[in-house]
Amino acid sequence: MQIFIIASRVLSQLKGDKRFLAISIVGPIVIIFLLKVLFDALDADLPKLPQIPVKPGMPPIQPPAITTLSFILPAAAFVIHFLCFVICAILLVQERTRGTLERMLISGFRRTSIIGGYTVGYFGLATLQSIIVVTEVLWLFKLDLSFTSIFLLFLVIWLLAIVSVMMGIFISTFARHEGHVFPFIPLLILPSIFLTGVIVSPDKLPVWAEFIGKLFPLRYANNIIKELMKPEYAMVDLIPDYLILVGYILALLFLASRTMKETE
Amino acid sequence: MHAIEINNLSKNYGKFKALQHVTLNVEKGTIFGLLGPNGAGKTTLIKAIAGALKPNEGSVTVLGLDPLKNKWEIRKKIGYMPQTASLYGDISAKQNIRFFGKAQKVADLEKEVENILKFTELENRANDRVRNFSGGMQKRVSLACALVHHPQILFLDEPTAAVDPHLKIRTWELFRELANKGVTIFVSTHLMDEAHKCDRIAILREGILLAVDTPEQILSRGKTVITFQKNGETIQHEISSAKDAILKELQLLGLQKDINQIDIKSDDLETILLSITQGKE
Ligand SMILES: Nc1ncnc2c1ncn2[C@@H]1O[C@H](COP(=O)(O)OP(=O)(O)OP(=O)(O)O)[C@@H](O)[C@H]1O
Ligand SMILES: [Mg+2]
Repeated sequence: MQIFIIASRVLSQLKGDKRFLAISIVGPIVIIFLLKVLFDALDADLPKLPQIPVKPGMPPIQPPAITTLSFILPAAAFVIHFLCFVICAILLVQERTRGTLERMLISGFRRTSIIGGYTVGYFGLATLQSIIVVTEVLWLFKLDLSFTSIFLLFLVIWLLAIVSVMMGIFISTFARHEGHVFPFIPLLILPSIFLTGVIVSPDKLPVWAEFIGKLFPLRYANNIIKELMKPEYAMVDLIPDYLILVGYILALLFLASRTMKETE
Repeated sequence: MHAIEINNLSKNYGKFKALQHVTLNVEKGTIFGLLGPNGAGKTTLIKAIAGALKPNEGSVTVLGLDPLKNKWEIRKKIGYMPQTASLYGDISAKQNIRFFGKAQKVADLEKEVENILKFTELENRANDRVRNFSGGMQKRVSLACALVHHPQILFLDEPTAAVDPHLKIRTWELFRELANKGVTIFVSTHLMDEAHKCDRIAILREGILLAVDTPEQILSRGKTVITFQKNGETIQHEISSAKDAILKELQLLGLQKDINQIDIKSDDLETILLSITQGKE
């Protein structure tokens, strides 16, 4: 099977590049740790914040109501989302710039196998990153969740990681060199952070902004995460959001196999 | 049927004309050399024949098949070595060769990989990461990847640039051996000693095919200067390098007693190529 030939080559490459592997594992660990430091500082600081003076008659300005619990998991999800996307996009673009993509195609590999192979290859890395990040968050922030919730949490982050890998593959098909990936980064980050529930709940946004947020997969991952944080939730309510994430994976797989160019 | 038939092939990059109305045929079991200055369009032509580029005009047939329409059939039969290394730096030489061999479903792959490693003299470094290889060694790995599945047609883009003389000679011996077995080799080069070893060569400049011929015929397009000394006087005759022209000139001179020195100097391939590509012909 071509997919597995490519996937195993991708894994051997990851194994061969220990530094890269270390960075992609240590990176999220450090970011989550920094978030913990940030929240501890915020918790200590919040009561002491000076009142911001306002004109008489105006309502007082409230500090943003970000609580650790409502922020940390969406933030962790975002970290995974972003890293998987960038890593995968850059590595696939490198195949193009280094000529190995062309060589693969002329050697008889099919486009769908290349995309599938990359996805399967990064399954491993994405799974590892998801496990590590979920474990670290639960431990650092002492979240008390049931076993089912932990499993569902892991599942959503893992699916999100795969969506991100697919997005990376999809975007890379438009890029001729690494530089072409960079403009997509703010395009992905900014709406994802502001409009999908990492900072504010999307239902507080104007309709148009909420609509844009709905185009980003992080929105559906956050829906699930928010539910899981509630003391009680019904599993059936989560199913549509899980299905949408799966839908993203399939749609991106299909789109990428269409947009990947075989010839110049 | 020719192994490769190219008819009126043109390729543009935007407005830039990289190939213009190229027409040529390559006989099966021969070594065909592609020469021309940097930017002449050699790589573009090789990619277009190998099916990595879509031409704007004209047609290409490889073993009777269209490289774009019958790509799956053709890809089993061709080996392609790009001009740049095009290898995975983080895995070993062996893993690279095995990877491309697997794509081609090579039977008894492990044995083939061992053989090709032996041929390219990479056995000692087989398990080292390609990233740390020297330029010439990467070329060898790349060549090995193109050969591992015993293709019927080989497209080689400057295969021996940066390869040391010893391995270069061995590589060309192998090319001749393969050609004798019926493999067609389409190779680009800047090296004149390699051009001499081709059955036919084509000269390309700014995307235009200037000449296609055997190296001997190309040589005969040059000029020969015959210098002789007669009674202490030096006389030079400039004639064409065609075999019969030299013969005629010598017959004309005869073996006169008072000629005490004759020096015959013909243009070499490089000089002729330069005059062709610089439009002096
Ligand atoms: N993708 C591309 N986009 C635009 N122009 C290109 C592209 N690829 C090649 N060219 C142009 O086409 C011309 C022919 O390039 P090509 O690589 O075929 O030359 P070459 O004969 O192989 O040269 P060299 O001896 O340096 O390898 C060059 O002028 C080059 O700039
Ligand atoms: Mg070239």
